[in-house]
Amino acid sequence: MVTNRIDHTWGMVVDLDRCTGCQACVVACQAENNLAINEKSAFLEKRALEWIRIERYWEGEYPNVKARFIPIMCQHCSNAPCEPVCPVFATYRNDGGLNVQVYNRCIGARYCINNCPYQVRFFNFWHPTWPASFENYLNPDVTVRTRGITEKCTFCVQRLRRGELEVERRAGGRLNDQNMAERNYMPACVQACPTNALTFGDHLDPDTKIRPYFDDVHAHDIHHEQERTTRSYLLLEELATAPNVIYLKKVEPYPIGENEHNG
Amino acid sequence: MKPTANMIPLALVGLVVTAVVGFIVVVLLMSWFSNPPFGLGNAPPQPIAFPHTVHAGSVETGGVGIQCEFCHRNVTKGAAATVPAVETCVFCHKQINPENLVGDTAVNLVEVQRVVDRFADGNPIDWERVYRLPDHVRFIHEAHIRFLTQGEPRMAEIPLGGGGSRQLPMPVGQACSVCHGDVASMTEVQPQAGQSLKMGTCLDCHRQNNVATDCTICHK
Repeated sequence: MVTNRIDHTWGMVVDLDRCTGCQACVVACQAENNLAINEKSAFLEKRALEWIRIERYWEGEYPNVKARFIPIMCQHCSNAPCEPVCPVFATYRNDGGLNVQVYNRCIGARYCINNCPYQVRFFNFWHPTWPASFENYLNPDVTVRTRGITEKCTFCVQRLRRGELEVERRAGGRLNDQNMAERNYMPACVQACPTNALTFGDHLDPDTKIRPYFDDVHAHDIHHEQERTTRSYLLLEELATAPNVIYLKKVEPYPIGENEHNG
Repeated sequence: MKPTANMIPLALVGLVVTAVVGFIVVVLLMSWFSNPPFGLGNAPPQPIAFPHTVHAGSVETGGVGIQCEFCHRNVTKGAAATVPAVETCVFCHKQINPENLVGDTAVNLVEVQRVVDRFADGNPIDWERVYRLPDHVRFIHEAHIRFLTQGEPRMAEIPLGGGGSRQLPMPVGQACSVCHGDVASMTEVQPQAGQSLKMGTCLDCHRQNNVATDCTICHK
């Protein structure tokens, strides 16, 4: 039907060796995507809405201990467990390789939340509220989700649309394969990252920085993990969800505390 | 169970409940299928009678033929078409005001005087919105105007505003009438039949013209 469709597979590479756990991505995401302010009670009830969160864990035994951080957002799986369980087709994988949540179609069944192994889908248990002075800061390009629907990271698809519009405006015509590369699209978390731990791109594009990591992961699946030439690994790879977010981590042959040279 | 006199109140309650529920269902169905949401010819009254016939109508029909994008300035530049500020009105009505309009009708003088007064007071005019899309819809006027008015000469299937194929590119004024009807001939802007601006009308046009129909194109 749509002949001028341009295929993409947007993906992200998260370099955990660079992540300092500063939470800039979390704040940027909250601001960009109209997420309500998570108060302490929301965390205590485990109902905080964070499209990207930093998971912290400790490596080693005291005194040789190091804090490690993993930013976790929607993995935009190519084989997403959340999609087939939605009774109203409110979530699907689109042309851009994004796992899309259609808010106005969602009925709040929460099957997707229960089926997501990464726990990156969130249910609005309450109507989102902001202090009155914050309401003028809401992003007009993003819907304010109401109570009773599921929401998740969109890879800031509103920025993609804005980028496409700017390309069209400059070209004075419709988007095509040639002028596609001119747009400047990156999600808010990538833009905010001070150490460039997050890299974003279209891994069908041969020039993108993330291409070698995706090629490596695609060429060496989990059963050939040792043969990977880069530091890449996928979260919960054994579930075969085929995520489009790759994590880079140097796996130390001598973990902290077991080897005095590493202390 | 044998019918007894005690069951009469129960039956009455049943009848009332059925009637109320039926009424609600009928109202919901009617409001869902009414076309457009206000109903045809039920757009809200404007604070100042602004006749598009006089301003946008062609010179032959007694108008002055101002282009749509002269007042709706942003329509070719951004998402919203925008309603003009009072200053835009005064751009012309500084001269065309009751002091100079000697031979005009009394009604027109009153309405024009209102515009001039608003400018003098520094108060904006609270125009009533006629076309409104839900909050979760992203509609970019600019992109649609560009599709209709620029590019190589071609035929496109435009189902709105009469239907059938049209020669593109078309002038901006005509492009507006694809969704808004012939506003230049309307004394009071009213949505026209077949131009409900519901999702079906959007999708018809997108499908017939080979435009993407991904949810995230329009829904944000």
